[in-house]
Amino acid sequence: MIEITDGEISLPEMIERARSRDAGAVVTFLGTVRDDGIVALDVEAFHEAVLEELRAIEKEAMSRFGLRAVEVVHRTGSLSVGESIVAIVCSAGHREEAFSGCRYIIEELKKRAPLWKKERGERGERWVGLGGAE
Amino acid sequence: MRIVVIAFANFREILGKERQMQAKDGATVGAILQELAASSQAFREAAFDDTGALRDYVLLMINRKRIDPAQEISRQLKDGDELAIFPPLAGG
Repeated sequence: MIEITDGEISLPEMIERARSRDAGAVVTFLGTVRDDGIVALDVEAFHEAVLEELRAIEKEAMSRFGLRAVEVVHRTGSLSVGESIVAIVCSAGHREEAFSGCRYIIEELKKRAPLWKKERGERGERWVGLGGAE
Repeated sequence: MRIVVIAFANFREILGKERQMQAKDGATVGAILQELAASSQAFREAAFDDTGALRDYVLLMINRKRIDPAQEISRQLKDGDELAIFPPLAGG
């Protein structure tokens, strides 16, 4: 399942959906809000375009690494330090494919999915990737 | 013709999330961006440098497909096209 949500991410539910009798490995990646001296992190998405891109990445990962199942959930909205931003679960016959598939999906997501983050701190705010505090 | 402009991140803060624009038939991507710049100094400063060239960090999509601004700024839009304007991606 591919999802963009304002709600909390449930990693256990994603793992359960990815399990299967022919999968010997389930690899998870959880991206969380790091404490870089920020108060909150706002995540914004071009919703429809993100879903299209993630579905394309999922398809590529399934065929390239022979994955059994892929789950990707990305948060939007205002997040606090420690909260989950993105979760990826990949199942495969063996661990090597599951690790490679999970890595491929997060790297491609960061390059291709139209999502943006704004850091809010005590001394101002800035869009990640756009330089100094505004 | 009618063009839908949608903006994200810093450009959304300047332009709003979505606006409908009336444009002459055959209007180019560049013409729409110039019209936005003419109506908003904040957008002009964010999107264009002092020489009037589009800044490198400005990314564009037409109907959810990325275009290369350097190559396709003169591309003509069609009635109902959706032009998306945003800065570099930062998901994950």
